[in-house]
Amino acid sequence: MPRSRELAELATSYDSGGSLGFRNRIINGDCRIDQRNNGASVTPTVSTAYTLDRWGYAFTQTSKASIQQNAGSVTPPAGFTNYYGFTSLSAYSVLSSDIFSIAQFIEGLNVADLGWGTANAQTVTLSFWVRSSLTGTFGGAIQNSAVNRSYPFTYTVSVANTWEQKSVTIAGDTSGTWLTTNGVGMRVWLGVGMGSTYSGTSGAWAGSDFRSATGATSVVGTNGATFYITGVQLEAGSVATPFERRDYGRELMMAQRYYFKLTPKNTGYFSSGYNNSTTVYRGIVNFPVSMRTEPTALEQTGTAADYGVQHGGSTVTNLSAVPSSFVASLTSSRISVSVASGLTQGQGSMIIANNDSAYLAWSAEL
Amino acid sequence: MIYKILPRQEGEPQTFARIDDDGLCRLTCTEDYPEFQKWIEAGNEPLPPDEVSGE
Repeated sequence: MPRSRELAELATSYDSGGSLGFRNRIINGDCRIDQRNNGASVTPTVSTAYTLDRWGYAFTQTSKASIQQNAGSVTPPAGFTNYYGFTSLSAYSVLSSDIFSIAQFIEGLNVADLGWGTANAQTVTLSFWVRSSLTGTFGGAIQNSAVNRSYPFTYTVSVANTWEQKSVTIAGDTSGTWLTTNGVGMRVWLGVGMGSTYSGTSGAWAGSDFRSATGATSVVGTNGATFYITGVQLEAGSVATPFERRDYGRELMMAQRYYFKLTPKNTGYFSSGYNNSTTVYRGIVNFPVSMRTEPTALEQTGTAADYGVQHGGSTVTNLSAVPSSFVASLTSSRISVSVASGLTQGQGSMIIANNDSAYLAWSAEL
Repeated sequence: MIYKILPRQEGEPQTFARIDDDGLCRLTCTEDYPEFQKWIEAGNEPLPPDEVSGE
């Protein structure tokens, strides 16, 4: 696209309520960030599972799909290096009550200006690149937190295994309750197999829990079918402007508000603190950005020997149990870990990684 | 996957360990963790903490 045309589209968007900077309400829309799996394939077992940063996968049946950044190693659309890769692992016939959908839930603070639920609700445009091994009509929806206001939409994949850019313009909802807090402000669904209970008429607001459009293609219905997306952008206005480029550090920081994974590599430090007793260490980890809410879970590898306490100079004593005890605020977490013996009460010490795989992570996802 | 009550540390909230199907604990959480709440709402109960033998 000529740059003069891009400028014209920005101007048109600006005239219809869009902004010229920080237009995209989607975080990690270009799928560059994958703190959890670092590009590895996963078959989620916990619904609503987060895979690539900020991207969730909601499902009602396990083992029907794998998800991987850059699955299949196809060439992304021009200007992109990464994509979200969804692969069906079976030929599953979707039941009426089934849900299979890729989703991003947008924090209310980041869509408050759209005025949804008021007479001043702004029009938004969702645009994205999609590539699927299947062709036909696909579906998705925009939905509120209480799942009682939904706007199902459709788009067409015309050519198999070819990147195509799609856009959907949605008149803002003047009804319902749309949170403007740190809760779920807006749910963006891209269906990959939706039961009839959760499918509604395309192109209209409904006071129901619809997460896709009636008649949409089921990706999970074909074994080995693929569905890839990138360049996802949700913006104010009735025009899909060029994908907003944000620098990697900024995008990572935006994602870390919802999930922060600390991976210091072998012999690297997680935190410094003190020996609370001869067997217990206590320390603080500061988060790089204020979390959306106080994290309620601490994740680690599941193997105590991946972690050690370095004390008394260079002595390293492996943990006797995985890191499990924590108290988190918006900006930091205190953690306590245990060793069998050998610490000197009151001395300073550190938690270290015993290999490159060791990590600690905190989640404040929506 | 199940959850187990962890021994409570002084001055810290009650935490629970998620025990995955392979027997490993990769996540601990407070009672406010959404997935834990869903698991409880489904009618499950966390296992009691391991007994600590006296000296």
